[in-house]
Amino acid sequence: MKNFEEKLNQITKPKVTYLKHQDMLANAITKAKDKSVISWWWLSIPLYLIAALLMKTIFMPKTTLSLNIHDFTSRETYSSVLFFIFLPIVFIVINFMSIRNIYFLSGSPKSISFLRTAWFNVLMIIFSILILIIYSL
Amino acid sequence: MNLPWFKRIGIFFIPTAIIGWLILIGGLAYGVYIFIDIDSRSHSISDTLINFVFNLLIIGAVYSLIAFLTSRAVKK
Repeated sequence: MKNFEEKLNQITKPKVTYLKHQDMLANAITKAKDKSVISWWWLSIPLYLIAALLMKTIFMPKTTLSLNIHDFTSRETYSSVLFFIFLPIVFIVINFMSIRNIYFLSGSPKSISFLRTAWFNVLMIIFSILILIIYSL
Repeated sequence: MNLPWFKRIGIFFIPTAIIGWLILIGGLAYGVYIFIDIDSRSHSISDTLINFVFNLLIIGAVYSLIAFLTSRAVKK
């Protein structure tokens, strides 16, 4: 009996040094950052177009940004739909899914401090919404 | 296929394999060709730059998409 007690005392909780969850979280953060970079490159095209049309508005009197955008749309229908509607919607969905994934893998924290790791994704969502708003004006 | 061909540093994808370097060199060569082509048809420096930057962004976007798709190690 004493021998058994000694054995029982020696038994400790198993030490888990490697957590698969940590691996999943690190992987999700890397993927989210990669996707935000892709978003940045693709969203830079409509942002550049908006900047160019804004310059045109400034230098050409009696024109507005929405007028120039509609003029561009009438000339380049497919490109404008692709750059001003399709791409922003796709990247809103992709970045939102990435943030959601990180949020759940972080254990659904109450504070928004977890967004520090995914701030670039949030920025891409803001840019996408901005493009959609400017296009719909 | 031996992946990954690229690794991400900041907002850029850097080649890590010969195929990656070939894609990068191809993209740069195409960029130079586009610049010469636009420059031969444009009437001013700003005309050249405005059209060239747009094309450069498209090349960068396509390059980054290829790099993103080929920067993942194949799961065994």
